[in-house]
Amino acid sequence: MVTLAPSIPSKRSGDTSSNNILRLGKPFRFVVLILVGAFFIVPIASSAKFSLQGNNGAYTISAYTQLFHTSDFWASLFLSLKVAIGTVFLTLLLLIPTVIWVHVKQPRLKRIFESVSLLPLVIPSVVVTLGVITSFHNLPNIIYGTPVILALEYVVLALPYSYRTFDSAVQSIDIKTLVDAGQSLGAGWIKLLLWALVPNLRAGILGASILTFAFSVGEFAVASLLSFNTFPVFLVLIGRTAASQAVALSLIALVFTWIPLAFVMIAFSGRSTRNRGATLNTAEVDA
Amino acid sequence: MAVIKSAKDTSPGALGGLGSETPQGKDAAPLHKRRRRWQNGLGAVPFLAYVGIFLLIPAISVVTTAFQDAHGKPTMANFNEAAHGIYLESFITSIKLSFFSAVIAAIVGILAALAVTTTSNRIVRSLVSAGSGVFANTGGVPLAFSFVATVGNFGVLTVFLKSAGLDIYAHGFSLYSVMGLTIVYQYFLIPLMILIMIPPIQALRKEWVDASESLGASRLQFWRWVGIPLLMPPILAAFIVLFTDAFAAYATAEALTSGTIPLVPIEVGSLISGNVLAGQANLGDALGAGMIVVVMIAGLLYAYVQRRASRWLR
Repeated sequence: MVTLAPSIPSKRSGDTSSNNILRLGKPFRFVVLILVGAFFIVPIASSAKFSLQGNNGAYTISAYTQLFHTSDFWASLFLSLKVAIGTVFLTLLLLIPTVIWVHVKQPRLKRIFESVSLLPLVIPSVVVTLGVITSFHNLPNIIYGTPVILALEYVVLALPYSYRTFDSAVQSIDIKTLVDAGQSLGAGWIKLLLWALVPNLRAGILGASILTFAFSVGEFAVASLLSFNTFPVFLVLIGRTAASQAVALSLIALVFTWIPLAFVMIAFSGRSTRNRGATLNTAEVDA
Repeated sequence: MAVIKSAKDTSPGALGGLGSETPQGKDAAPLHKRRRRWQNGLGAVPFLAYVGIFLLIPAISVVTTAFQDAHGKPTMANFNEAAHGIYLESFITSIKLSFFSAVIAAIVGILAALAVTTTSNRIVRSLVSAGSGVFANTGGVPLAFSFVATVGNFGVLTVFLKSAGLDIYAHGFSLYSVMGLTIVYQYFLIPLMILIMIPPIQALRKEWVDASESLGASRLQFWRWVGIPLLMPPILAAFIVLFTDAFAAYATAEALTSGTIPLVPIEVGSLISGNVLAGQANLGDALGAGMIVVVMIAGLLYAYVQRRASRWLR
């Protein structure tokens, strides 16, 4: 249910910020930003209040504590974490060599590969699930009948976010020079990857991992339709019987996805403005 | 550390043939070149194969199965069924929901993007852009429950308004309806709109404002004849993205309404979950194919609008 990759605009320093060329008045800005801000804050504040409300108006944290005693909660959480870690691992395995290869060997294909990575946006995940059932149900049970299929599919479904993030990280370093330098020093591709490229692409790898992880932990459609009891599926089940517990859990889930996502957003919006045409960082190369 | 070793260590691998740099005879050159080109293409294989197997094969199988009956014989019956009754209604409801959600989010998003781009307060700017990036990626089940806590039957805001004398549920509002979903979807659509619109608004040039002003245009006239026409292509493109996003959304609607509102993804979901009547074996595939068609049409419009947009904003 995630949307487009976070393309935080690179702000052109100075020109629009200092002088308000569109001449929109202060009251306009104030009213719009307050109203829109309220729309985003009120549900969170309400969730907090709702989850802490007891039956007779008294405040209690029982919604939070009760959850931790149910084994289903832990089981679903661990399943989701396992699937998410598997997805991140597979994504990096697929993404790092591919994106580096495209940039070093076939820069002409950059656009095409980016379009391919956006394909999952064209095919709704419900339809993908349907397709997985119709086309993979004959596969051995090890793949189709276990959560492995979730990880395999999440890699594809999270591509629009992971690919773009990693791609822009590769774009921001002078990868050709790094590769040439490494090769002239006699490093093979494995060494080049481990000692020169990966250290320089840490931020991109971290960003892609966080986005993929957040996507996998929160994904509901595929998991629920293939009947796997992941965390979001468990959350919906709880919601049918105990609203305040579901709200408490949702609040925790939201906060725990927002913190790493905010980290990615801030890290990458800064990157796109500062590191234009970044050059080799010697300290990092021989680290 | 540890970079230089013997040349034997170089492993050409799938990433390209750097070991094939050895000088060869004249006759060998074309072959060598051909091999190189072949090797250069090899790096594309894992990625494309992966997307092919786990995305394209399922998608294609949905479309082909949609044209078959339970025994694999070609038929149009699935589409016939999909275009009638509850299923036709689900397409109409889905498209309506996505359309109105996208319209509201587009308007609010543009206003917010205008407000953000014209403010000189750096903290507000980075807060809104980072926040938009975060909220645009928030959705699904937790979002549904946080709205239940707010404007659900016993939500905090519902109760508060009731105590203030306004019973919103008595006035026709319900969170568990198309109207409710439209509001909930704003939570990820508005930030998405803000994210998409900030760059084109920033690209509006000061010269255009000055030029229109020195020609005697009022602020209203500037927007009517310059600002809005310039921003129209990106707005349309963004609108299509929002529409598609809302159209494909499943988790929020399912968590909120437990499948009581007929929406296409919900219907497909309930067909998958086994609520299938006899003779409807591949009906879900027909609905899925229908969804792909709707998104494809949106995608083509997007490509068309984008091409027009790129003429101005370069």
